[in-house]
Amino acid sequence: MLKYLIIPLSCNAVSFCHYDSHANTNDFISVDTLKKAIFWAMKENLSVQFVYPACDVPADILAAIDTVDHIDIVPSDMSDAELRAQADIVVFDDWNDIDRYEFSDGKAYVVRTSLAAFIDNVQTVKSVLPKLDRLNVVLTDIPGMSDVQIDSYKESLDSLIPAVAAEYLAGHPVQLNILSDRMVLDGMNNCNAGDESITLAPDGNFYICPAFSDMQENTVGNLQTGLDVRNPQLYKLTHAPICRICDAYQCKRCVWLNKQLTREVNIPSREQCVLAHVERNASKKLLEELRKMAPGYLEDKKIEEVGYLDPFEKLIQTQ
Amino acid sequence: MSEPLLKKIKDGWQSGVAKNITFIVTKDCQLACKYCYLVGKNGHERMSWETAKRAVDYILSNENEFPEESVIWDFIGGEPLLEIDLIDRICDYIKAEMYRLNHHWFNSYRFSFTTNGINYHNQNVQHFVNKNKNHLSFAITIDGTKKKHDLNRIWASKDGIERGSYDDVVKNIPLWLSQFPNSGTKVTISSEDIPYIKESVLHLYSLGIREVNINVVFENVWKQGDDDLFEEQLLSLADAIIDNELYKDNACSFFNDQIGKPLNLEGDNRNWCGAGRMLAIDASGNFYPCNRFTQFSLRSKSAITVGSIDTGINHNLLRPFLALDRTTQSPQKCIDCEVASGCAWCQGENYDAADTDTIYQRSTAICKMHKARVRANNYYWNKLFRKLELEERLKEYRESHPQTDTKPC
Repeated sequence: MLKYLIIPLSCNAVSFCHYDSHANTNDFISVDTLKKAIFWAMKENLSVQFVYPACDVPADILAAIDTVDHIDIVPSDMSDAELRAQADIVVFDDWNDIDRYEFSDGKAYVVRTSLAAFIDNVQTVKSVLPKLDRLNVVLTDIPGMSDVQIDSYKESLDSLIPAVAAEYLAGHPVQLNILSDRMVLDGMNNCNAGDESITLAPDGNFYICPAFSDMQENTVGNLQTGLDVRNPQLYKLTHAPICRICDAYQCKRCVWLNKQLTREVNIPSREQCVLAHVERNASKKLLEELRKMAPGYLEDKKIEEVGYLDPFEKLIQTQ
Repeated sequence: MSEPLLKKIKDGWQSGVAKNITFIVTKDCQLACKYCYLVGKNGHERMSWETAKRAVDYILSNENEFPEESVIWDFIGGEPLLEIDLIDRICDYIKAEMYRLNHHWFNSYRFSFTTNGINYHNQNVQHFVNKNKNHLSFAITIDGTKKKHDLNRIWASKDGIERGSYDDVVKNIPLWLSQFPNSGTKVTISSEDIPYIKESVLHLYSLGIREVNINVVFENVWKQGDDDLFEEQLLSLADAIIDNELYKDNACSFFNDQIGKPLNLEGDNRNWCGAGRMLAIDASGNFYPCNRFTQFSLRSKSAITVGSIDTGINHNLLRPFLALDRTTQSPQKCIDCEVASGCAWCQGENYDAADTDTIYQRSTAICKMHKARVRANNYYWNKLFRKLELEERLKEYRESHPQTDTKPC
């Protein structure tokens, strides 16, 4: 069921996920389109998430935004400091200055990074963990990731376990998506673009998510004719044969990456599956570590030992 | 079917354990069959020896990617026998390389052909047949009576005058059957062919072809009333087969005691089609999950390649094919259908007909034809079991085939 409408306010609104921001031009959504989109979201009972560019946003757009309860997703280098301070989610596009940033309680921070840069910045992650409540690490170079690179990722996650555990022990249960999310989940908690969320781009067309909005052929309707997602069942977990037997519940299950790498929105690539399992297994270790320090911690949660990193192997064996 | 009185459609050689590797050696054909799914046939896309050799080298030198016990090297077109000299060279090379590499397929391989049969008697073809006879499967396509065959299987012509190919094919049937006595033929039924089904199957039996593998096309070609006409033809064919006791020596794939039952999805949710478990290679050296995903087979979608002789197999692109199952791609009406067993699909046609670029949307264009077949099939087995006084079998059949409304959804 649809729950969220994501509205990038301009063509170069910040990317908060795996895709790169599409354009250098700051063509803003028209106020008329924005008002119609907000009206549509209210009628459809959807929560609205606005995604901002780094540059200043025109006053009439800000006025329209103010007419609806919403979430703001902003870039860390946003010129409007007041807006940035009020935002719900702040996105870093690299590791520069992140350790000097003035974090606020109760907010989520996203850092988009290549795997190599993440590995280089494990110390930075450790240094910011005490200062924030939630950090989402989003890898931007998943396609073609080699087993050697993934091994390095595993080592980096393992090296973060003591730092995260120390925060928990100090009474600060910081959330690091790639390490702590799986620990508390009982079922899939994925992006669910196309099923629970839909994007209205500045061109007035609907897309499955912002990543798809670089090509108009990806449109799934518009405000005039309505939302028209063909084969909508393929965005649901029930119709993802690999994912529905998987318990890497924290996986983004990114349909855009799926489409890019396997041609099908409901089938993840090996890279995505293996990375998610490396994170899952690191979460298992973190949970075990926490239970050593605090017996009975999250005792209703269990992460089973499995003999594979790619659930596709499990699927093939059962066929 | 366990009764020795009944001839059964054979499973293919090493069915289920063999890898099918298909060389699309040419996109040319002498014929322009009206129902042919190959929409982009042409005379210039012919496989070169270098491409074929590189494909064989890739396949045989990557043994771990092809763990199947056996292999069927399939040669198709267009019309494969137009390239018999190339095929002969490829097969010699495959044999030599399998021996040199001590490959696990060396003692478990087949070369397989489906041909229009026009060139079957040619010297080069016969030389090839005699050389490889112990490792060869040949199927010649003949659609039935001259009238039925010539309705669709016509020569390609530029003058717009239709000329059937029956006479050019039927002359080679005795030679073919003398060399491959247990061979069957494949018959394809489109809307226009329906009135000729009965006479065509009986005609093929009379030619000595004991096994008729027949199916309706998966494309959405069916007109109002086609299902009723189809049912009439099958009922009439059932009477002819049973009344004349043709079931003893002949088989027709339309009649199968396992079709028309509800699905047992817990026991079997497998995909029907083998796309992705096979590998097709075209003249450019591209790899496909089956030949139906080449551009010349598709009406409205782009080809799906899964690698090439230059890059090898892209396993991410194979995952959607290997992860396919029945329920994920089927609409609810098919999952709930009480006569679903035996209702087939073609992954390529599903893709071509889908609303989006997906192989996960099953086309249901044959729904009403399947249900007509189920009704005739029920009649066939009821009549046959009664004639053979197989009361227990009849009881079992009735219990496993619940009476149901078989009207189209």
